[in-house]
Amino acid sequence: MACLQLQKIAISGPTLASMIQRLSSSPGDVDGFIFGHVTQITTLSDDTSSSDNSASQLTATITSFLCSGSPLSFYDALGRVNSPKVPSFNQQNHLLGWFSGRRQSAIRPSMREFSVTNSLSKIPQFKFSIKNSSETLSPCVFILFTTPLTDQLIHTHQYRAYQFNTSNKSFHAKSLDVVNIGPAFRGHYDNFAPNCALPLMNCSAMDEESMYANKEKVSDQKQLDLCAEGFQIERLRRLMGPEATNYTEALEDLYEKMLAKAESLTRLVESSSAKVFELENNNRKLRYKVSRSAGSE
Amino acid sequence: MSPEGFPSFISAQLHYLVNHSPQTIKVEQVWSGCKYSGSLDRFTLLIPYCLDTIKWDVIYNADFPLAAPDVIFGPEDEEFHPFHDTSADVTATKNSLSDWNNKDPTRLLALIQELRDQYMSYQRKRVGEVDDDRLKFEYSTMLSREGIEMHMNSGVEKPEEVKFAVPLLDMNINKMVVGCPWRHQQRIYLQVIYPVNRKYVSAPSAPRLKLMSTAELKSLFSIDDVKLPPWLDGMCMAEYLPHLEESLERQVLEAVSLTDVRRRFIEALAPLLGRPVETDSVFYRKAMFFVASGNFSFLVLIFLSTQFPKQQPALMLQSSLYFNPQSMPIKSPLLTEYPWSPRWESSQMAERIFEFLVDESLNFKKYCSEGHLQQ
Repeated sequence: MACLQLQKIAISGPTLASMIQRLSSSPGDVDGFIFGHVTQITTLSDDTSSSDNSASQLTATITSFLCSGSPLSFYDALGRVNSPKVPSFNQQNHLLGWFSGRRQSAIRPSMREFSVTNSLSKIPQFKFSIKNSSETLSPCVFILFTTPLTDQLIHTHQYRAYQFNTSNKSFHAKSLDVVNIGPAFRGHYDNFAPNCALPLMNCSAMDEESMYANKEKVSDQKQLDLCAEGFQIERLRRLMGPEATNYTEALEDLYEKMLAKAESLTRLVESSSAKVFELENNNRKLRYKVSRSAGSE
Repeated sequence: MSPEGFPSFISAQLHYLVNHSPQTIKVEQVWSGCKYSGSLDRFTLLIPYCLDTIKWDVIYNADFPLAAPDVIFGPEDEEFHPFHDTSADVTATKNSLSDWNNKDPTRLLALIQELRDQYMSYQRKRVGEVDDDRLKFEYSTMLSREGIEMHMNSGVEKPEEVKFAVPLLDMNINKMVVGCPWRHQQRIYLQVIYPVNRKYVSAPSAPRLKLMSTAELKSLFSIDDVKLPPWLDGMCMAEYLPHLEESLERQVLEAVSLTDVRRRFIEALAPLLGRPVETDSVFYRKAMFFVASGNFSFLVLIFLSTQFPKQQPALMLQSSLYFNPQSMPIKSPLLTEYPWSPRWESSQMAERIFEFLVDESLNFKKYCSEGHLQQ
C-alpha cells in the first residue's frame, strides 16, 4: 500500500514555542504526542487539457500536544508502543504522531525513535480519516527537537519534522510551516479548529458528557458571580448617558477589587510553582539515589 | 577517557566495554544532557569496522537511571535499522535491549557487539545489491572468507565505492610468539576498494589495494616492508589472494624466526659487554648494557629492526655521569655507520660491535666532558 504523502506540516507559532519551552524547562529528555488533523486541499490547475486537472495536497495541522516530561513514557527500551498509555482522541483531534526532545544530541532520528514511529504507525486503532477525503492515514508525523552539541552557535534549539513512510519504512523530512496570526494569514488560520489547550484525558467523567457539561456551566456561573462582586451586567447599561459620572466610582472600586484579586492569584501561582519546583528537585534527588545504588550493587 | 562525572552505573558499563571488547573501541567525546546536575550521560564511541571506524552516539539519561540507552548512528547510515525485521514483527525477537538492566556492567558491550554484527550484515546486504557485474562476482567468491567485512561508500559528493577488508593468513600469529603480550588477536588485512561501475566496462580498472595490520604487530613484522604482487588486467580476487597469502606466510614465518636470531645476537654480546641491564624479552628489539671503559662508565642502547640482521643495529651511548642543563643524561646521536655484514656469525657481529664501542667510547667521553664544561 502506497503511503499518502503530506505536502507540509503546519503548526501555530505559540504551539511550537510551547513545545520548545517544555523541552528547555525539563531537566532531561522528553517526549510526547502531537494532535491535530490532516486536510486535503484541492487546487485547480490552469492546465485544462490534462484529464486530471485538479491537484490535491495534504496538509497536516498540529493543534495541540501533550508532553510527558520524561523519556520512554509510552514505549519500552526497544521502542514498542504500549497502546493503553496513548491518550484517546476525538473527531477533530486526531493523534498525528509524536515528538522527541533530546538535549545535546545530533539532529537525526535515533534507533529507538525509528522503532517507536514504526510501531505507532502500525496500530490500527489510531488510523484517522482525512478531512475532505475518504482516505485514512496512520499517525506518521515525527518532530525531533534537540539542542546543539556545540555552544558556539547562536541558536539554542533546533527541530526537524518528518513523515514516516509506512510502506518503505523510512523518514522523509518535511518542512514545518509555522503559522502566525496576522491579517495576511487569516485565510490560512481558518484551517485551525479552536481547541482546548489540554488534550482529552482518559477520565471516567468524560463518558457522562451532558452531566459534566451542566455541572461545569453552574460552576462557571458561580465563578463569574464571585468575580463580579454583585456588579450585575445590567448595571453596566447605566454607564452610558447622563448618569455615567455617578457610576465611575463604583466601577473603579470594582476594578480595584479585581486587581487585588489578580495580584493574590499571581502570588498563589508563584508559591505553587515554587512547590512544584521543590517537588521536582526532590524527585531528581531520589533518582540519583536510585542510580547510585544501581551502580554500587 | 576519564570516568569521573559519569553516574556510577554508566561508568561501570563503559569501563567494561573499553576493557573487554574484542575490538579496540575508543570513547571520543563525553558530554551531559542534564539541565541541572551536569552528570555526563552521553558519549561518542569510535568502533573499528572494515579497517575504518564508525561513530555512534550513545545516549543515556542520568536523570532516569533505569532507562535503557539509545543510539544515534552516523548520518550516512540513515537506512540502518537494527532490531527491526521487515518481514515479521520486531517484537518477537529477543535482543540485548529487551529486559535491560543498568546494574549489569556487561550490558553496554553486549548491545554494541550486537549492533556491530547487525551493521556488518546490513553493509553486506548493501554490497550484495550493487548492480555491477564484476562486484557481484568478487562478492560471491569472497563471501565465504571468515571475518571478511565490507562497506559501501555512497556519499553525495564522493564516488560510489565498495570496500572490502579481507583477513589474510589462516594462522594464529599470537600463538607463534613465545610470551605473547598482545591482548587482541593480531591480523593482517588486505584493503580492497572497487569503484562501482553500473555500466558495462570491457576492461575494468584495478582495485585499490593496501595491506594493513593491527597496530601492535609492527614490533614483530612490518607490513610496510611487504611488496604487493602486481594486479594484472582482468584479474580477480580469487586469483590474486592465494599468491599474496603464500608470500605473506613465508615472510611472517621468517619474521618469527628472526626473533631467535636477534635473541642469539644479544646473548653473544653478553660475554663482551656484561649481562644486559634490560632486554625486550619477547621480540628482542631493544637491549641495554652497562659498560665501563677505564674509569668512564656509560650505557649502551641497542635497537634492532625487524629487518635484522639485513639491517645493522642502531646504537646509542648514554652517560651515567654527565648531564645536560635540563638534568637529562647526555646521549650520543644514533650510530648506524660502522663495519657490518649480515653474513657474519652472531659472535663475530658482537665482536665487531665491541671493537667499535671501544673506539667510540673515547669520542663519547670527550663529547660528554665538553658538553658538561659548556654549562
